[in-house]
Amino acid sequence: MSSPGVVNLDLSAPPIVRLMERRSLIIGVIFAVIAIVGAFLRTDEFFHAYLLGFMLWLGVALGSMAILMIRHLTGGGWGVVIRRLQGAAMRTLPLLALLFVPIPFGRRFLYIWARPLDSIPDAHLRQHLAEITRSYLSVQGFIIRAVIYFAIWIGLSFFLSKWSAQHDQPPMRDTSARAKALSGPGLVLYAFTISFAAIDWVMSIDPSWISTIYGLIILIGEVLSAMCFAVVIERILVDYKPMSELLKPDFVHDHGKWMLTFLMLWAYFSFSQWLIIWAGNLPEEITWYIRRLYGGWGSIGLMLVVFHFVVPFVLLLSRPFKRNIRKLVWLATGLMIMRFVDLFWIIEPNFSPTIRVTWLDIVVPVAMGGLWLAYFFHNLASMPLLPAFDPYVREVWEPTHSEAGA
Amino acid sequence: MALRPDEQIEVVETKAPRAPVIEPGHTFATVTDKISSIVLTRPTSNGWLVGFGFSFLLTMVLLYAISYLFIRGVGIWGVNIPVGWGFAIVNFVWWIGIGHAGTLISAILLLLRQSWRNSINRFAEAMTLFAVACAGMFPVLHLGRPWLAYWLFPYPNTMNYWPQFRSPLVWDVFAVSTYATTSLLFWFVGLIPDLATLRDRSHNRALQMIYGILAMGWRGSARHWSRYETAYLLLAGLATPLVLSVHTVVSFDFAIGIVPGWHTTIFPPYFVAGAIYSGFAMVLMLAIPIRKFYGLEDFITERHLQNSAKVMLATGLIVAYGYGIEAFMGWYGGNRSDAFLLWNRLHGPYRAVYFSLLACNIFIPQVLWIRKLRSNPAWLFVISGVILVGMWLERFVIVVVSLQRDFLNSSWGMYYPTRWDWMTYIGTIGFFLACMFLFVRILPMISIFEMRQLLPQAEVKPE
Amino acid sequence: MKHTGNYGMMAEFDSPTTLVAAARQTYEAGYKRIDAYSPFPIEELAEAIGFHHNSVPLVVLIGGLLGCASGYLLQWWISTVSYPINVGGRPYHSWPAFIVVTFEMTILFSVLAAVFGMLALNGLPMPYHPVFNVPRFAFATRDRFFLMIFSSDPKYRGSETKAFLESLNPRSISEVPQ
Repeated sequence: MSSPGVVNLDLSAPPIVRLMERRSLIIGVIFAVIAIVGAFLRTDEFFHAYLLGFMLWLGVALGSMAILMIRHLTGGGWGVVIRRLQGAAMRTLPLLALLFVPIPFGRRFLYIWARPLDSIPDAHLRQHLAEITRSYLSVQGFIIRAVIYFAIWIGLSFFLSKWSAQHDQPPMRDTSARAKALSGPGLVLYAFTISFAAIDWVMSIDPSWISTIYGLIILIGEVLSAMCFAVVIERILVDYKPMSELLKPDFVHDHGKWMLTFLMLWAYFSFSQWLIIWAGNLPEEITWYIRRLYGGWGSIGLMLVVFHFVVPFVLLLSRPFKRNIRKLVWLATGLMIMRFVDLFWIIEPNFSPTIRVTWLDIVVPVAMGGLWLAYFFHNLASMPLLPAFDPYVREVWEPTHSEAGA
Repeated sequence: MALRPDEQIEVVETKAPRAPVIEPGHTFATVTDKISSIVLTRPTSNGWLVGFGFSFLLTMVLLYAISYLFIRGVGIWGVNIPVGWGFAIVNFVWWIGIGHAGTLISAILLLLRQSWRNSINRFAEAMTLFAVACAGMFPVLHLGRPWLAYWLFPYPNTMNYWPQFRSPLVWDVFAVSTYATTSLLFWFVGLIPDLATLRDRSHNRALQMIYGILAMGWRGSARHWSRYETAYLLLAGLATPLVLSVHTVVSFDFAIGIVPGWHTTIFPPYFVAGAIYSGFAMVLMLAIPIRKFYGLEDFITERHLQNSAKVMLATGLIVAYGYGIEAFMGWYGGNRSDAFLLWNRLHGPYRAVYFSLLACNIFIPQVLWIRKLRSNPAWLFVISGVILVGMWLERFVIVVVSLQRDFLNSSWGMYYPTRWDWMTYIGTIGFFLACMFLFVRILPMISIFEMRQLLPQAEVKPE
Repeated sequence: MKHTGNYGMMAEFDSPTTLVAAARQTYEAGYKRIDAYSPFPIEELAEAIGFHHNSVPLVVLIGGLLGCASGYLLQWWISTVSYPINVGGRPYHSWPAFIVVTFEMTILFSVLAAVFGMLALNGLPMPYHPVFNVPRFAFATRDRFFLMIFSSDPKYRGSETKAFLESLNPRSISEVPQ
């Protein structure tokens, strides 16, 4: 039942991938040099921007891994066609583990709990910190937990890519049962680890504030950014073989639907958090929003409502829009920028009561992105764009029931 | 790595065989006749009479309890100060959660093109409808003066007052009544073509009249089908966010207040997951006996049971995530009230309830990871029962354990349900089952036209 | 029964494939006032009989916008104009609190528009229709597929039309009385 046309297709990545790798590396190195200069000039601002950039690119890598696992569980040609893109994004996790290393060193610039207790003026906060730094937010605990998170993530990604690589060689084997057996528990592990990572690395910047839905907001943001990233990359590749032969409007349509789903979930989680905290109006909770709605930060919040939800939501309702990769890519790019803005709005108001955008907030995430993308394209070039000896590849060659759903 | 052009790939059928959604050998006629005969020609069995009789008896218990409530007032229940929300709200949340699986199966799975849903969506929707009816009773009975329930709606009146729209209880009125309306219409729209089939298949003049009036003159015109399909898909698209919003609003009933144990931001997704969890458990508890007694194993196959079990496993894990995060934040957040609530759940007077709910909702259902158990109807039936009990206990813990320890020690209290509480609760189960018995007797419990669509013959072959 | 001529002529088929093919041929042969009946929806059929304009989505959109606007305005008017009361110091115009009911009203109105719009556009309920006079039409809700040419079609000529329908190899042909 194989179609000979596709069998004869060269499945290796086109030369554009190598070119993009070089370009990303150049951008990454140039910006990294500027960022390092910035680190000496304004160390605190550097670390604030560093955490922002780290969370952004970590989100793309982890979100890609999550979508890959979702596809193993649900099946579908939409996932097979972007599987290797997401695999390449997932295999950047060792680089991200390396990029994490400076954060514990810069902890005093980021986390109030990492500073000496005597330096904290508020007596109530000082007492709370005295308790919590003994039990949970200790420096050792912070590092040990980070090691555990990365060990789990890299472990999952290792097995997923190892099994995927086996499909590049004959014989054709069905390993979906094994992949399923890993992906179910893998998604559970991902949900728990990213929630605690989000608490450790971001929420604990304000150690007296808690929100139980916080982990899910971060999680869904990661998955959304990963889906948008896949759309952007498939747009780059679709001009060249083999992707030009493989990417059908039906798959793009499905990618658009996933974007819409994740977008709606993001809005749902974010609105739930806002409404519950707004209505409760408790001093220990509402301060988080007061910080983010006054002093100029409110304009960014409004921007998120409009460009992280309303505009993309309306666009994604349109069926022709979702099916056209050349249009969808603009929205995906815009949403990736909005992911950056969302994380900016979550992280940066902790450090300044009035709105402040420093040049480092741009330079550091771009530097990290350049290096990350270079590694990503390197990974992408190292494997064929489709695992030829996976029986599920048939779903790309002969998609079934195309016309249903809205 | 490039494949050499001369290299031939040998494609081996390696996909694990999947249980079919409909057993082979059926035609349009056999599908139609098999399902419609249950309603039209099959004699009323003794089993049905006994089952219906028993559930009708329980419905009478409900009516008795309600009548006494109307005479004496809510004082006959165990509610008190500080536990002002007792069984009534526990049961409300439990029932409405059960209803959600029906909408999920009919709407979300339709949008996801999961055609296996076609054989279970009809009775899952009926289940939704009856569960919402049971749920809707409780807040109204809890009002104290239930005959004034219409005051909850905004209508111009001589008292010159309006509802207060900052209250989640008013949101609930809108959410639940929209949900009830939508479920009814969605279910009825799905029934129209099948009612036409019953009209044309029955030989009894009275039945022809009744089904004929309900079918509204449906004749299967291509133009009609086209608009029908569009409307049905749009209804599914609208019902999907609606069903999520309904349990979200139910969770707001708690989370908008500032009671420790209620005021927590994870509540919306965690309530929705819990609702789907218990709903699928109820679907299985109904589907397993129905397919057995009516010989519907051809249409409700092992695959349906397997898939439902997987949904339960997934939603159960989301619920577990909710428990975990809530407990962690109670400890990490440093809020004394939250920390005390956690302590009270683990060590307080209702600790047995809390540990039972952990066992029923989190630990026991993990056996669903085992494929063998997932495909065994008897085991699934038992596990579904455990989950339904667990989800009821969860709502009990949320409602009662949060309220019984107020901020001041002087207003601490205990909640003990009275026999009227139990009679009302068990009575609604009877009412629900009685409705289900009537439904399977007088309406096609499987969507006939959607089953025809599942047959391979239904596909138009290219010329 | 007095009849002033037929309502149309109806041919019966065995499978969706033959019906769709027959409908296409009939439409291409110049018969425009035709209809087809099937026991389940067939996607290709509507297009084969020349039905393209489906206005259900528009009706639903209008319903949804109406519900959204009326839901929000209702709450705004009640809470700020007609019956402003102070609840825990929250503003009269508490927009975050109004979103839930606005959402529910949007869904409610869209659903009502979808169901009643679909029924109205289909002309249902319709207790009497001439097609039900054909005894075999009872199988249209079981396993048979029918094609109908209305007598109001300008090309409709009793015997000629019958001959045309016969050329499509149906199982049976019936005249449909008014």
